[in-house]
Amino acid sequence: MSEKTEYRGSIHQSQKDLMLNWYEQLDRAATTGDPPTVSMMISGNCVELLEGFGAVPLYPEVNALQLAIRHQSLDPILAAEDLGYAADNCAYVKADIGCMLKGITPTGGKLPTPTLILCNFVGCNTYLKWFEHTAKLTGAPLYVIDVPFMRTDEPRKEDVEYVVRQLKETVEKLEQLTRRKFDYDRFRQAVDCSRRSEDLWSQIKHLARSTPSPFDAYFDAITLMGPLYVYRAKPEGVEFFETALAELQAKRDAGHGVYEREHYRLVMEGPPPYPYFRTFRDMFAKWQACAVASTYSTVGGLWEFGFRHDPDHPFESVALHMIEQNVTNRNYLQRYEQIRRYVEEWNADGVIIHFVKSCRLFSAGQGDMRDYFTKQLGIPTLYIESDLEDPRYFAEAQTKNRIDAFFEALEHSKATALRGSA
Amino acid sequence: MRIASGVDVGSTQTKAVMMSDNGGINILARALVDTGANVQRAAERAFDKCCAEAGIQTGDVGFVVGTGYGRYKIAFGNAQMTEISCHAKGAGFLCPSTRTVIDMGGQDSKAISVGANGEVLDFVMNDKCAAGTGRFLANAAEVMGISLDEIGPLSLRGKYPVKLATVCTVFVESDILSYLAQGKKGEDILNGVHLAIAKRTVSLARRINLEPEITMTGGVARNCGMVHALEEVLARKLQISPDAHFMGAVGAALFALEKLDQSFEFGTWKGQHATSGGH
Ligand code: SF4
Repeated sequence: MSEKTEYRGSIHQSQKDLMLNWYEQLDRAATTGDPPTVSMMISGNCVELLEGFGAVPLYPEVNALQLAIRHQSLDPILAAEDLGYAADNCAYVKADIGCMLKGITPTGGKLPTPTLILCNFVGCNTYLKWFEHTAKLTGAPLYVIDVPFMRTDEPRKEDVEYVVRQLKETVEKLEQLTRRKFDYDRFRQAVDCSRRSEDLWSQIKHLARSTPSPFDAYFDAITLMGPLYVYRAKPEGVEFFETALAELQAKRDAGHGVYEREHYRLVMEGPPPYPYFRTFRDMFAKWQACAVASTYSTVGGLWEFGFRHDPDHPFESVALHMIEQNVTNRNYLQRYEQIRRYVEEWNADGVIIHFVKSCRLFSAGQGDMRDYFTKQLGIPTLYIESDLEDPRYFAEAQTKNRIDAFFEALEHSKATALRGSA
Repeated sequence: MRIASGVDVGSTQTKAVMMSDNGGINILARALVDTGANVQRAAERAFDKCCAEAGIQTGDVGFVVGTGYGRYKIAFGNAQMTEISCHAKGAGFLCPSTRTVIDMGGQDSKAISVGANGEVLDFVMNDKCAAGTGRFLANAAEVMGISLDEIGPLSLRGKYPVKLATVCTVFVESDILSYLAQGKKGEDILNGVHLAIAKRTVSLARRINLEPEITMTGGVARNCGMVHALEEVLARKLQISPDAHFMGAVGAALFALEKLDQSFEFGTWKGQHATSGGH
């Protein structure tokens, strides 16, 4: 049985065009030194700030995942292990470092030495070490923005001020490095573009509350995430999300889902196994199971619950986004709550937790999370393990077995519930 | 009379069970063969053997459900289900008061929380490596130079179990060798081996609601040393059916019978039929 799992509309083409254009700019920067480029982490990225310099972001994580999806991640990982990286190190790091060592890029084009390596240290300690090493390998200057972890429900005033001060220092640093004056108006416009992109993105995510959901909020959402990180602060980004919303809305209004019949609605927790992205997706497609929400699609920003960048307080809202509004920097209880709301408000049948060996930040504590959902909330929850970048950790038969068993059980309980209500 | 069969293709052994429904449900025959390298062949051999044992022709069998890791390779099967569903189903049938199944097989172990009708409520499995599974016991037996059948009874004689530093299937060898070099008794070493696995299995099982009655299934249920060690760690008796080893196949055959009398509850499952065996 083959299930049609992918929606192909014009947004896929414009997504490709946008991302290609981004890689072209990076290629140009590598050859001519223009535009300036800033290397950053996806989580809590401050891409708006870069607009004030006409600078382009460079995301090592995006490069790493592109490689993995194209089944090219193992070589660079092995190169990094040759250098001394341990089996336990995050494979995103190893793939990135390995690429530098071997001169590999995901598109085959050139990647520039960044004008600045900006370590927006959000939640994950690995970022620091990763960027330190990149700085050493490339000779590019490193600046760390230390973002306090969310240890209270609300970020404290001092925390926001602390981050704002560092953002302003980043501006000074970039003025020196690019020899350009920071364009505050352009920065504000960028923050306003972000606000609009985020609003559209949030509406898209809320479309998945419909039954059937017009798109898969895990697998399809990943297509939309590239533009979200690179373009949200630009008019092109706003335009892209307008088109995406219109297309998906039309699909929703026509009652078209991801499958001919949507059998199950899921919430996905954890990053996907990029080296086996298609295989993994097919395991859910077989059961006509659609993800209606996912935590992974909130690593770069959590907008579906109302947060927006604010052009009237540009620095503060960028700081708030970095501290509070991305899943990486939030504490575990906040993540529990986020998932619980998804299950309830997006009307899901169960939760899939995908543990990835690479990522302690995402995965530590997921065993307890499973306990919490199954035992305390009574939500069917499946826990599976592999990796987001290293193909050696994916056991196809075992993963499939667990997924099939999970759906067999769901099937049974659905049938019993139906019989009970008949 | 409706006749249906379940074939459980495990990593080490393949089990087939023939069942009939004639007002009451009965097991007509069982068959057991080593899986070996040719999984498809093993399934055929087990099935043919089981038909012969039951004194019926293959054409008399109305429906065949395959389970176990090699289930998609069963060319003659009508449908497949995971061994998780099948073990729960089988245990619910043979030991109706079962609420938890601990299944220990050749390469994995799992704990299943079971509902009143033998349905899976929740389950957990060991991670990818074979630590703490039947394979681990086989390795231990090999290092000790005794047969797999002997290790259980021998371990029961151990009074001073050694503490194993690992449940890793590879490293257990050096661990055992060093105890042998220290002059520890074989029975104490084996007692320690069984306890180490039991502890690991129980901590896995605690991730689900570990409610009584607890039924043990799978090939390792034939090992009295393992049963004893698990009972010791759990501080309660386990239910062990004489058909514990066949539980997956029994469950599969029950699903096959349900399929025949239309009481089958798996709507989406219609899409899962793969009679070509190609997967
Ligand atoms: S450990 Fe996780 S959050 Fe940290 S860099 Fe690796 S994948 Fe990203």
